[in-house]
Amino acid sequence: MKAAFALAAIAALGVGSASAQEWKPTKPVEFVGAAGPGGGTDIFARNVQAIIQKYNLVDQPILVSNKGGGSGAEAFVYVKAAAGDPHKLVFGTSNLYTLPMVAKVAFKHTDFVPVAAMVFDEFILWNKGDSPYDDYKSYTAAAKAANGTFKMAGALSKDTDQTLTRYIEKDTGAKFIYIPYKSGGEASVQLSGGHAHSHVNNPSESVGHWKAGQVKPLCVFSKERMPQGPKVTETKGWSDIPTCKEQGSGIEEYKMPRTVALPPGSPPAAAEFWANVLKKVSETPEWKDYLEKTSQTGRFMAGAELKAFIDEDEKRTRKVYEEEGWLVN
Amino acid sequence: MTERALVSRTTMEVVTALATAAIGAAVMWGSIEHDIGWGDSGPAAGYFPFRIGVLIVLGSFVNLAVALWRRGTQDVFLTAEQAKRVLAFGLPILAFVVLSLFLGLYVGAILYLSAVMVFQGGYRLLPSLTLGVAVAVAMRLIFPMWFKVPLLTGPLEAWLGLY
Amino acid sequence: MENVGSLFHGFAVALTWYHVALMLVGVLLGILVGVLPGLGAPNGVTILMPLTFTMDPVSAIILLTSMYWGALFGGSTTSILFNIPGEPSSVATTFDGHPMAKQGLAVEALSFAFLSAGFGALVGVAVITVLSGWVTEFALKFSSPEYFAVYFLAFASFVGLAGGNPVKTVVSILLGFAFATVGMDTVSGSLRLTFGFDELLRGISFLIVVIGLFGIGELLLTMEEGLKFEGVKAKVNLSGVLRTLTRLPRYWIALIRGSLVGVWMGITPGGPTAASFMSYGLAKRFSRRRGNFGKGEPEGVIAPETADHGAGTAAMLPMLALGIPGSATAAVMLGGLMIWGLNPGPMLFLERPDFVWGLIASMYLGNVVAVVLVLATVPLFAAILRIPFAIIGPLIVVVCFIGAWTVGASKPDLWLALIFGLVGYVFKKLDYPVAPLVLALVIGDKAEDAFRQSMLMSQGSLTIFFSNPLVGTITVLAILLLAWPLFSMLFGRVRAGRAEKMRLAE
Repeated sequence: MKAAFALAAIAALGVGSASAQEWKPTKPVEFVGAAGPGGGTDIFARNVQAIIQKYNLVDQPILVSNKGGGSGAEAFVYVKAAAGDPHKLVFGTSNLYTLPMVAKVAFKHTDFVPVAAMVFDEFILWNKGDSPYDDYKSYTAAAKAANGTFKMAGALSKDTDQTLTRYIEKDTGAKFIYIPYKSGGEASVQLSGGHAHSHVNNPSESVGHWKAGQVKPLCVFSKERMPQGPKVTETKGWSDIPTCKEQGSGIEEYKMPRTVALPPGSPPAAAEFWANVLKKVSETPEWKDYLEKTSQTGRFMAGAELKAFIDEDEKRTRKVYEEEGWLVN
Repeated sequence: MTERALVSRTTMEVVTALATAAIGAAVMWGSIEHDIGWGDSGPAAGYFPFRIGVLIVLGSFVNLAVALWRRGTQDVFLTAEQAKRVLAFGLPILAFVVLSLFLGLYVGAILYLSAVMVFQGGYRLLPSLTLGVAVAVAMRLIFPMWFKVPLLTGPLEAWLGLY
Repeated sequence: MENVGSLFHGFAVALTWYHVALMLVGVLLGILVGVLPGLGAPNGVTILMPLTFTMDPVSAIILLTSMYWGALFGGSTTSILFNIPGEPSSVATTFDGHPMAKQGLAVEALSFAFLSAGFGALVGVAVITVLSGWVTEFALKFSSPEYFAVYFLAFASFVGLAGGNPVKTVVSILLGFAFATVGMDTVSGSLRLTFGFDELLRGISFLIVVIGLFGIGELLLTMEEGLKFEGVKAKVNLSGVLRTLTRLPRYWIALIRGSLVGVWMGITPGGPTAASFMSYGLAKRFSRRRGNFGKGEPEGVIAPETADHGAGTAAMLPMLALGIPGSATAAVMLGGLMIWGLNPGPMLFLERPDFVWGLIASMYLGNVVAVVLVLATVPLFAAILRIPFAIIGPLIVVVCFIGAWTVGASKPDLWLALIFGLVGYVFKKLDYPVAPLVLALVIGDKAEDAFRQSMLMSQGSLTIFFSNPLVGTITVLAILLLAWPLFSMLFGRVRAGRAEKMRLAE
């Protein structure tokens, strides 16, 4: 406790000088994860909490709670109800702005005060380990020839995985039967068992099955290859996966941001305070470690940059949803 | 069953059947905002809920009919004596819930526990209050302190600066 | 028998004083969270997780799994003593466990529960040891149609035996299914039956329903009958525990049947809850003492407990080998594995044999430690029933509502628990069975998801449920079990006569 106190003093100095307008949490803080325990969002929130506590970046206790009901809608509704109280932060993904489009929920993304996007999770097109296809073009061509009988497994309905599937369909003219499961992990097992032809999981969701050779990555939906790292299988590491663009896909990039937002009506000084804290988190070695272990891309965005990103991504997604007839709001 | 019936079994059967029918109707109503058909790719979102709703309503009507048909039998649902005992236990629970919603679970638990002990158990005020407070302290230690699960708090905790 | 060799290596890893001490700590903490309805194994895992980051992965997983076993055992305690199941999987334990406690047989009920649970767990882990390679391959054969067939089988073996009014049973089941559909629909991604209430977004929580239907409903009934708990008269001492131990072998059929059901449901995605219901259903259907079920029959405690723990243990293997968490706790543990730098998946067995086999060895030891510890607590817990009702009754109420609050920190949940309490009271008095409602609530949405995923795969053709030998066999078995009441009606008279003779002979 005493050591923690000393650290707190040092950290407080740093935070104090960073923000001109003073706002500080005056009571315990709650990080609300918009997903069940154990998922990507939960691990994200818990890592942020652990790092904040380790470096004592905030001198109030922080609790992490999981409100994954309604695909995360529960968390957003809960934080919206805490209007004007910047002691509750909601940790989510792009579902912050995509969920209100497809489900009849009582919030809009503009209700919240966005604080930061800290990481981007990659999407990879996976096939079963022994599938005859090795790249984007040959696989989608086969899917097209199969006349809409290829099955694409994915996590949830009308969420990132299904959206990306639609992008692929538009790009190549292939048609997939999209089968929604509760999580990417389940989708990965279905692919390993040969019950689907492909899925577009995030790296961390399928790494175990890749190691065992049950699934194999075809390409990553990113502008550049993923960073160099240790080998995952005997011969390949993440950086050996070609980008889909290299393989002639028309999809430039598809990533999912992990976002943090404050309740409606939170003062700008509070948003600035949290953005500063999260910025510091993103500069620690522990954060680098987390990114590497989960094979995500770190990219810190806050303020106007974040707002512009959300607006643009929201518009783009809205267009696809409109074409698919998914829009309810 | 010679005791005087406060509520007859028939009445209760009818009330229950109507209540389940109402739930069934609500389920039907709630599911027609989705597609209730069986499309190319199997049942749509409203398919099962709608049919479940229909069956609940049908089942409830059967139960209703049976209850009315048998109304001649003088079965008792609740005698006055039983009602008194159930209310003596149930009303304090209701009071506890209402109190807790306004004052938080800690204060609610202290008041409820000590009141029941005093008025129904015949204990004296001091030991009852002590036990109530002891339980509240235990709640506080176990839930928010050890397991980081905050409980519902009220104005007293806010005033004391606890969370 | 390469596995046996690996297991001995695992024992060498797991059997150190440090690890046994961790098991003791874990089990005790687990019992604490298991006994309190508001807390469960996930809470225990959450507070232990930060402690484990400095440990090596084997020690960490031993601590966490021991906590998990403790919580499973603790959950049965409240089921038996107060009719409040702390976890979905201990609902079926209330059916006969609580009647036994009310008759003053709390010590016997608890001992039977713990001993048979320990037996089931050991069978489960033995199966894992012998069949580890095969189990993973078998689990990979399961896709949505097979999932649906497994749920259907569990359901078919439980319902149809309530014996009471069939229309009321059907209404009760349908209410359970209706409650299960509330909230987000995985397959279509839309919100169903929330009627614009934000509180219904996450669906109707199982815990709130059972706290109301079982816990509060039962208290109201007890009060109405003017009874206090009769546990007061019961003798509470350790020799009761030992007496029960000597009586256990008599129930060998129930033990073996329960273990088989448990292991089957643990390896397939059925899970512990469905396993316990299915085992109870089968026991009630095929036992000689079936007439006594629901009135305090030891076999009605043994059957679900054996299956629950058999499934809980057997399910650890698919979790490690496939990376699929079977429960919220398992999900948190999986998250932990990743933080320790381990990737759950098929390669874990090859890359980290010390970890996997150390874990499996610790499952043998942890369960033995857990059984010994919980048996030692039996007199303590049974003595709770001696506390005057004016104190213990309200205490149970407080604990129930704390439990209701912890589910979602939402005020309407307290009302919901109260309403379900009233419903439980009325339903019980009017002979609406509540157990099928709970089963329907627990497996309803999973079964619907699996069914609709299958229909997506087959483009709307029901033949997919007969499309391969595996799914075909399970489906046919389920249909046969569902039709069983018809068969037994035909032969009912003959059997009833024979059973009567047997009872006289005993």
